[in-house]
Amino acid sequence: MSIQLLERELERLESLWEDGLSDAYRSYLDAVAAYEPEAQPRLALAAALIEIGLRLQGLGGRAAAAPSLLMGDLCLARSSRLLAGDAPQSVQIAFARAIETLSAAAASGSSAPPPRTRELLLRAFEAR
Amino acid sequence: MIGKRLRFETTQPTEFVDITDRLREEVRRSGMRMGRLHLQSLHTTLGLAVNENEPLLLRDFQGLLERIAPEGAGYEHDDFTRRLDVATNEPVNGHAHCRQLLLTGFATLLVEDGDLVLGQWQSVFAVELDGPRQRQLALQLDGEFEEAPDRHRKEESATLVELELSRQLQVDPEAVAVPMRRLVEAGGKRVRPKLVQLTAGLGPRSEPLRAAALAAAVELLHNATLIHDDYVDESTHRRGQPTVAAMEGPERAVAVGDYYFAKATRLIAEIGNRDVTTTIAEALEAICASQIDDVALRGAFPGDHDSYLRVVRGKTAALFAAACASGALLSEAGPEVVEALRRYGDLVGVAFQMADDMVDFSPDSGKPVGLDIRQRVLSLPLIYASEDRTVGPEVRRLLAGSLGDTEVGRVADLVVSSNALDRVREEAQALVESAVHELEAIELDGLRPILISLARSAVDRTA
Repeated sequence: MSIQLLERELERLESLWEDGLSDAYRSYLDAVAAYEPEAQPRLALAAALIEIGLRLQGLGGRAAAAPSLLMGDLCLARSSRLLAGDAPQSVQIAFARAIETLSAAAASGSSAPPPRTRELLLRAFEAR
Repeated sequence: MIGKRLRFETTQPTEFVDITDRLREEVRRSGMRMGRLHLQSLHTTLGLAVNENEPLLLRDFQGLLERIAPEGAGYEHDDFTRRLDVATNEPVNGHAHCRQLLLTGFATLLVEDGDLVLGQWQSVFAVELDGPRQRQLALQLDGEFEEAPDRHRKEESATLVELELSRQLQVDPEAVAVPMRRLVEAGGKRVRPKLVQLTAGLGPRSEPLRAAALAAAVELLHNATLIHDDYVDESTHRRGQPTVAAMEGPERAVAVGDYYFAKATRLIAEIGNRDVTTTIAEALEAICASQIDDVALRGAFPGDHDSYLRVVRGKTAALFAAACASGALLSEAGPEVVEALRRYGDLVGVAFQMADDMVDFSPDSGKPVGLDIRQRVLSLPLIYASEDRTVGPEVRRLLAGSLGDTEVGRVADLVVSSNALDRVREEAQALVESAVHELEAIELDGLRPILISLARSAVDRTA
């Protein structure tokens, strides 16, 4: 899948592409194979942006410094727009629930092992 | 007569909690134009006071109380061997009761023209003497109330949103719900949910419950962004309450902000209108992009007019515009109505932010003057003062250095002495008139006066 297709969607986030976003993106491509072909790259990117965004913010670990937190916020917001445009309602809801699960676990400060972000997001694609 | 309870949580053994804004909001919501607000502490170790909110003075008051009734000075009340029916968790707090005797447990405040009558330096405090604790005050509002039919409609809508917010916050895990409840219950102007509800009544599909669900989700989203903003700006208080970052730590602030960002987007998705979902998602993206610009511009503080407008359009106006457009979309209003309301929201949002900037220089706001200067937040009065021929050079020189109390005070004085605030006020009023103009060409089913009044009240405020 070419990055050119996603040019607009990567605006202001270009530096993240080489810094883990492209790898995360590729890891979601199989999960979106059953979706409309034109929606697949944007949906895979949406999931990758959530994964990278939460990592940038330091969710579940030490809180990131302001610039990194804000970049993480932009990743989540961009993902939200991509899902609003291309994902069925059930998948939008499943993605939101995945973030709710991850952030509630982080807020609880529990010693239980935290949920795995990628597993939750891959499962969200199955809500279709 | 209206009776209410004001609930809050204190965080320190002795603490002066400024409740002025919350009382003003209660008066505004009640619609009382002229009368009295009666306040009564429901605790024997919580007092009331009307005085100046100046941090060093508050420390003086605390010192005075400690000198007159020191802790552990052999109070008979603390000798549990001599008391009957002592609870197992009875605190050792004879000093707190004695200190309360020096304050008052009740107060009556006058209300005129729908607002509290307070002197320039007066703030109303609940004084915690044995914290931290959950506290409540009883309020009664007694006087002449607005009776316009619109008010009842507004009241019903506002109640629906409050109920929906309360319902949503009841079902969440405590670790995230407690800090968000504190923020939501501390007040806020609820302008965005009002815009959603008003505009959701315009099209052929007007459903108050769906509108309230959307309005509550928009308010949660707004509050989620505030939680992250407060961490970024290192703010310690918002709406008179400690911020999540200050009270629960930055890690919790990140998590709570994320949780309610996700929950709000889910609630909006569950409404099932793709145009609404997209409109709000686009606004959220604009907010986040502008926050990055806002922080980046602090290197060139105080910035310029164009940069200011670019940031404010994203940071504040985007959600105002989206609130207006999404309400109209939900009610299936026509595209010309949706777009006119989107432009109206954008203009009102920018004007609202300008008014907010001016509040930073108002001693009547209940907040410390010059907070924006101290935090190097983009502010139009500062930009105009820095461009002023007379005070500009000194303002720029001061802003280029480190900003202690003296420098912040001096910059604030310079801004007030220049014509910067007048320029900002005029610009905000012109934007409001443009917003009103946007409403002229569309059918608004009797809502025009309310939208006009809402736009004007966005700039005619001191808090």
